[in-house]
Amino acid sequence: MSVQGAALGPGMKFFVAVWIALMCIVGVEVIVTYQHLPPRQLLVWLLLLAFLEAGVAAWYFMHLKYERAALTWSLLPALVFVVFMMDHIWPDAFRLASLRLLSH
Amino acid sequence: MSEAAAHPAVHQHTAPTGFIRKYVFSVDHKIIGLQYYGLALVAVFVGMVLSWLMRIHLGWATFAIPGLHLLSSTGAPGNVMTPEYYLSLMTMHGTIMVFFVLTNAPFSGFGNYFLPIQVGAPDMAFPRMNMMSFWVTLVAFLVLMASFFVSDGPTIAGWTVYAPLSAVGKDAGPGLAMGQNLWAVAIAIFCVGQLLGSLNFIATTLDLRTKGMSLLRLPFSTWAWFITSVIGLLAFAVLLPACVLLILDRTAGTSFFIPGGLVVSDHLQPHTGGSPLLWQHLFWFFGHPEVYIAILPAIGIVSHILPAFMRKPLLGPRVIVGCMVAIGFLSYMVWGHHMFVSGMNPFSALLFSVPTLIITIPATIATLLWIGSVYGAKLRFTSASLFCLGFISVFISGGISGFFLAQPSIDTYLHATYFVVAHFHFVMAVAAIFAIFAGTYFWMPKMIGRMMNETLGQIHFWITFVGVYCIFMPMHYLGLAGNVRRYAAFTDDFLVPLIPVHQFITIAALVTGAAQFIFLFNLIWTRFRGPKAPDNPWNATSLEWSTTSPPPFDNFGGRQLVVHHEAYEYGVAGSAGDYVMQTSPEVVKPQ
Amino acid sequence: MDVSELDATIHAGHAGMEESPYGIPSGKLAMWCFVLSDAVTFSAVLFAYGYLRIGSPDWSTPFTFVPSVLNGLVMTFVLLTSGLTMLAAVEAAKAGRTAAGTRWLWATCALGALFAGMHLMEWRHMIEEGWRLFQNPLGGSVEFGAAFFCITGLHLLHVLGGVCALAVIALGFHRQRYNSIDVEVLGIYWHFVDLVWMFVFPLVYLMNAR
Repeated sequence: MSVQGAALGPGMKFFVAVWIALMCIVGVEVIVTYQHLPPRQLLVWLLLLAFLEAGVAAWYFMHLKYERAALTWSLLPALVFVVFMMDHIWPDAFRLASLRLLSH
Repeated sequence: MSEAAAHPAVHQHTAPTGFIRKYVFSVDHKIIGLQYYGLALVAVFVGMVLSWLMRIHLGWATFAIPGLHLLSSTGAPGNVMTPEYYLSLMTMHGTIMVFFVLTNAPFSGFGNYFLPIQVGAPDMAFPRMNMMSFWVTLVAFLVLMASFFVSDGPTIAGWTVYAPLSAVGKDAGPGLAMGQNLWAVAIAIFCVGQLLGSLNFIATTLDLRTKGMSLLRLPFSTWAWFITSVIGLLAFAVLLPACVLLILDRTAGTSFFIPGGLVVSDHLQPHTGGSPLLWQHLFWFFGHPEVYIAILPAIGIVSHILPAFMRKPLLGPRVIVGCMVAIGFLSYMVWGHHMFVSGMNPFSALLFSVPTLIITIPATIATLLWIGSVYGAKLRFTSASLFCLGFISVFISGGISGFFLAQPSIDTYLHATYFVVAHFHFVMAVAAIFAIFAGTYFWMPKMIGRMMNETLGQIHFWITFVGVYCIFMPMHYLGLAGNVRRYAAFTDDFLVPLIPVHQFITIAALVTGAAQFIFLFNLIWTRFRGPKAPDNPWNATSLEWSTTSPPPFDNFGGRQLVVHHEAYEYGVAGSAGDYVMQTSPEVVKPQ
Repeated sequence: MDVSELDATIHAGHAGMEESPYGIPSGKLAMWCFVLSDAVTFSAVLFAYGYLRIGSPDWSTPFTFVPSVLNGLVMTFVLLTSGLTMLAAVEAAKAGRTAAGTRWLWATCALGALFAGMHLMEWRHMIEEGWRLFQNPLGGSVEFGAAFFCITGLHLLHVLGGVCALAVIALGFHRQRYNSIDVEVLGIYWHFVDLVWMFVFPLVYLMNAR
């Protein structure tokens, strides 16, 4: 008997489909890499795809979908908030680059 | 009752026997809490002695402190400390106090002891992980202390260990070889201990509350410990990799924080490509939430103790909890205010300054609610309640200087002066210490089953209260006069006239420090000679007072408590007595 | 964490206790909190990498499709597949099929070990080419080596820890010392390790492909 008895979720067939989807996303990432995009655009694409992949993995593989919504609402905003705050550092990184280019 | 019997308690075994299992490697949260408290007691004593050594040197730079050469023959030849050794002592003072006293005692110490009891649980959710978190913290302390005994002494880089000073290695000065390595390793280990502790606190608060103990019925102290553990979970997660990167820079030749072309002590450093500003960002991303980790449990403890001595609940209890949550949230948005003069993007400075000013709002609301609650109440003056009032006083004093420092324009002048030293000592250090004292006087009867001496407690309070104002108030003046911090001696023309102020502060510090021995004596006297404490000496309402003093091994003697009331039902109209305990079955009709 | 502690938390919400807002055993909640904290740790390291990369105009992009990106792809495939086998282990454990669950756990452990082995071989290859934490054989920024070995090293540590945990749980589950909740909790950790790789591969490998 387990607590999760009522919420077993879908069977392995479904998870194999998710696995295929994840590998497709990885495939798209590789294809995008070789499109000779400028680095900034490539970064945006790769980040979007990475977040999509991670979201799918967390939602299905980690069973977040089958837990109470409260768990997702507690964890995800906290992570998003902290990571968003870390973005404060970028102006200093760009200034560092321009200072270094100036000194050459 | 059969359901309760079938419900397997967290402890399936009986109370442990044998000294080692009972008091050393104990999984009992109460013993672990006392172990943390004991560690904090040792740490605060070491930190205080360090501050005396610093203060004596600042007042009398050429004074030979007897025996100092025994601590370090290179750092204090002829018992007069070198400027570098002053910086070593200052670094250790800050590090020990912030990590091993202010994070340990109000959070790990009292929190471990009382959180399970206040939620009605027999222990923490993960007792063995709890034991591990204490021993990890103790190892961290010992590793840090080891830096006193290496040939070069402790690191001189300040508790903030800014790069590149902390990153380049022994070229940069004494203490920056082994001493700095030990600092980084010790703090990395400390992060792990805190992480484990946070997991326990969160799981226990959410999962192990007894029947009727809804989240809104939790005492303020439990709320504070819970919020603090969430903050800590996210903040220490950044300090840990920062320390690892620092260790790599120092030992593996990386250049995360070291720029190219750096010449230190006539040696061109081989590093290139790094950024010292990156260290500051990573450190303060942790460092600012850390100061709220230090103060939030104190806020919770003071909010918890005051109602018992006012015999009425605080005004706006939900608002106070909301303020604690708001402070926790905002604490992640303000770290750049430590970096206004670092060369950081000045527009970022604005983005940090605004939330810094905003965070004063919930702090002020909480303060006004305390004051408003105490006003008009017949507050009974005991050692515990006096330290609560003292907390409010120093919290306000320290908070006001924060308004000035929050603004980049003013901070440009005041940064790295004694104004800042005054600010953080009042608002964080002294405030949290006062809350630790209040908590000790309030909870010691429960923890060891004996009442502390009231007279000694009140003498301790008055000397300490007057003393800390004598120590830290003049520092505001010093800062405004331009007195730079982290200087070992004052030889500049504009600083020499300020030395008499430093001498006054030193004398105040020594007297206040001496008064702490009254507290220490009181603790020891209580342990051996204190009168036996009843179960509820303060006629208080929360769950810790529903059990014996000290509580039995499983906290409630096998009883499964049922909670019927909120946490601070004092002076309830329509009630039979002057207070209603949380577990009381009395039904009080709202008037 | 042993069975008695988990049992207590499974029964939370039953006799005499308030229900947890999340309705999951404490061990699971603690693992989610740990994952959140570890995610913040990896974010900090990745942000530091991004900061240093943006600040280094002489950044190198050394990864050719063969062998580096291809190797990375295979490693990604191995790790993703180990996620699938982990799921199979959890499903089997929850359905009470101990033998099947144990087999899937060992499969996950083996795939994790394979990933680690491939990674170490890749490291050896790069070290042979002259890459170090402080050295760049292409003459560009030395931060590349520092960032690469630090990020992948941190991830590799997590993989190795997971492989050890998988072995311990597989042995214990077989002997019924651990139950399905333990397997599920480990599953959350293992999927998190996979999740981190979903950021490491594009940001460290693909962004540095030439």
